Amino acid sequence: MRPNHIVVTFLGMALPLLAGCDLPGRPKPGPEVPRPEAVTSFDTLYNENCAGCHGASGQNGSATNLANPKYQALVDDASLRDVIAHGEKGTLMPAFDIRSGGSLTGAQIEVLISGMRAHWGKGNVLAGQNPPPYKATHPGDVSKGQAVYTAACARCHGVTAQHPGPAGSILDGSFLALINEQTVRTTILAGRPDIGEPDWQGHIPGRPMTDDEVTDVSAWLIAQKPAIPGQPYPNAKPMSEHPAEARPAAVKRPTGD
Amino acid sequence: MPWYKSVYDWLERRIQFEGPVKEAVLHPVPKSTASWWYVFGSASLVLLILQVVTGILLGLVYMPSAAHAWISLDVLNHDLPLGWFLRAMHGWGSNFMVAVVLIHMAQVFLFGAYKFPRELTWIVGIFMLLMTLGMAFTGQVLRFDQDAYWGLGIGASIMGRVPVIGGQLVHFMLGGPIINGSTLTRFFTLHVFVIPGTLLALTGLHVWMVLKLGINEWPMPGRIVRRETYVQEYNELAHKDGIPFVPGAVWKDLFFSAAILLAVAVCAAVFGPFGPKGVPDPTIISTVPKPDFFFLWIYTVLSFLPPELETPFLLIVPPIAIAALIGLPFVAGIGEKSWWRRPVAVFSVMFLAICWAVFTQLGTYTPWSPQMNAWSGAVIPAKFLENRTPLERQGANVFQEKQCRNCHAVGGLGGQRGPALDEVATRLTEDQMIRQVLLGGGNMPAYGSALSPAETSALVRYLETLHPHYQPAAADASRQVVGQGGGVPADSTVQQGGGQTAVH
Ligand code: HEC
Ligand code: HEC
Repeated sequence: MRPNHIVVTFLGMALPLLAGCDLPGRPKPGPEVPRPEAVTSFDTLYNENCAGCHGASGQNGSATNLANPKYQALVDDASLRDVIAHGEKGTLMPAFDIRSGGSLTGAQIEVLISGMRAHWGKGNVLAGQNPPPYKATHPGDVSKGQAVYTAACARCHGVTAQHPGPAGSILDGSFLALINEQTVRTTILAGRPDIGEPDWQGHIPGRPMTDDEVTDVSAWLIAQKPAIPGQPYPNAKPMSEHPAEARPAAVKRPTGD
Repeated sequence: MPWYKSVYDWLERRIQFEGPVKEAVLHPVPKSTASWWYVFGSASLVLLILQVVTGILLGLVYMPSAAHAWISLDVLNHDLPLGWFLRAMHGWGSNFMVAVVLIHMAQVFLFGAYKFPRELTWIVGIFMLLMTLGMAFTGQVLRFDQDAYWGLGIGASIMGRVPVIGGQLVHFMLGGPIINGSTLTRFFTLHVFVIPGTLLALTGLHVWMVLKLGINEWPMPGRIVRRETYVQEYNELAHKDGIPFVPGAVWKDLFFSAAILLAVAVCAAVFGPFGPKGVPDPTIISTVPKPDFFFLWIYTVLSFLPPELETPFLLIVPPIAIAALIGLPFVAGIGEKSWWRRPVAVFSVMFLAICWAVFTQLGTYTPWSPQMNAWSGAVIPAKFLENRTPLERQGANVFQEKQCRNCHAVGGLGGQRGPALDEVATRLTEDQMIRQVLLGGGNMPAYGSALSPAETSALVRYLETLHPHYQPAAADASRQVVGQGGGVPADSTVQQGGGQTAVH
């Protein structure tokens, strides 16, 4: 080969390589940093906005297990849309819609909904099991709730707040102040497989809970919320009630004084 | 006679370049200067030429208007074949140029090359450094993305701190009271005409002086520079023990410059162009603007300075630094050149290099600024949620929802403005945590009005669980007393006098 040929061959090989898409530095299509409202990837949206509370891939978070096929089968799109856009009243679920002070557009919320369905839904896994509806159809009867609690919940959560069961109390005043009837209902119905909480069929040994039972116990639970929840020292006796007794024995003065 | 020879002769008759060029090329240099340490100056020049060439090519496409600048870069990145590569070459060329110029400067300083008779060469060099930095800054502005936009905002607020004329300066710099189209036009003019013009002129002068005064000889301990004898000594060195610049010394320069160009090209091909990042829209506030690499250290220093020191620092330190550099050859213009006999010089360079490296490294991950989407994006690792009660889980929800995570890492994720809380329960009792959360303090906001009592209890209960299994949570002994209805714990055996001999 004459030198000229070598140069031509080299250029012929190098130029397409340079122009080709194989070089790692070549910018990916689309802007490097899209406008925040132009992000439409479910993974990005979920990881940036939800994973902090609902956990990586929808499980093992502090808030509800969204990657639960039973939950996905129970809940309808409209409810999801409403919760994500406006938050869940009385709980720590924030509102995400731009118009409600959040940072997501309506289109992005739709991406989240369809993405959850696609990633975590497994079709209608509850078909034929006749679950109670996702939303309560009538107000619960508080007076019947305690019996349901004793039958369905006390085993794990204890009979009273002072005697928490192995799974920890749900009668604690601060806890009750941070949930609402719907979150109780959702948790009973769909369970939290990621932390071992059963669905509505596993709470009462031997039979599934009925719609009425779920509704009543949710209402009863919320009714247990104390008037002033969240006192930091629930065990300390108020000083004013029995002034004489409340004084620590160590500083009691001699009676003759 | 071949045609090109006659063309050459015709031109040479009229321009008469051959003599001076030959003289410059063949001038003798001390043998010791044909060293790998002497290649940075020529490499800077080659990089400057690269920047001019790529800059002109970019100028063919770039549109210096607020509405089109960002788009024209996007077109270069995506629509023009190899447009991205051109941008990457220019961007990486700029980074390499700043780096090589700084190395050149450090080398010249350590080799005592600024001493008599090369004082002016050094001073011109300082202005060339300032021009180079000016090119880097104005170039970053021309990218006109979010970083550029906010970078300009910061630059303007620095200007605004100048006493008395601050307002006018800002107006002058931005071409109006706010960042707008004419701001960009101004920076375009600076980046394309004013600074490069000056830089090229200074470069000519700098190189001219290097040729006229001769390249600095390799410093020898004990060979003292004296005004009376230096020139004569140098000429002896160059002529007796010298070699012609071409080809004796030049091949190392050529080799190194080629290697640098290759390095720029490889970086460009592998890492690609810089930005443009998000569009410069002031309504997008979910952005973390950062200056380019070489200005990161300023960013760090300003973040660490207490607010009342910022203005003095910004207005006093740069002039002092420049004055010190300019004054250097007048203060230390003669004497020892060798670094073996100039410990202060060596340690200054090391000190500055280490400071710069540390500040830059900090600037890359900005531990002082909250991470604004950690609250909703940073997962709490599963082991920090295992076996927690329902209340404690709600506490973790509060922890996220109140955005504590933006400042506090857990499991290595989250902001670093406050301490990591992985083991906070071993350090603070429940009461201390309640106090910290409600009243804040030490750069932490007070959450007293943002947390309901129930939220506070849940949150603190959760924080109380954050301790390793082998170390219990810190507890307040007086709580135990209250819990026992005021009963005092029984005396320990030591308090009862256990182990002591009974006295009768
Ligand atoms: C600050 C923490 C937090 C973030 C961030 C968060 N959530 Fe929630 N979310 C909660 C809490 C708390 C609840 C109430 C249920 C519970 O206590 O687990 C909840 C409830 C929900 C529910 C309703 C469950 C039900 O009862 O049917 C949905 C759906 C939901 N979140 C989706 C999302 C999505 C989608 C995102 C991201 C855009 C998101 N959440 C971000 C805390 C959060
Ligand atoms: C703006 C950033 C910021 C936010 C938001 C923030 N903190 Fe802090 N936090 C700090 C800083 C800084 C300190 C260190 C205070 C000091 O040194 O006195 C700190 C200290 C603490 C401490 C003491 C840690 C120790 O080891 O001594 C606790 C506990 C704490 N924060 C909890 C919280 C909780 C809970 C929240 C949310 C309600 C929160 N912080 C929100 C910045 C923040």
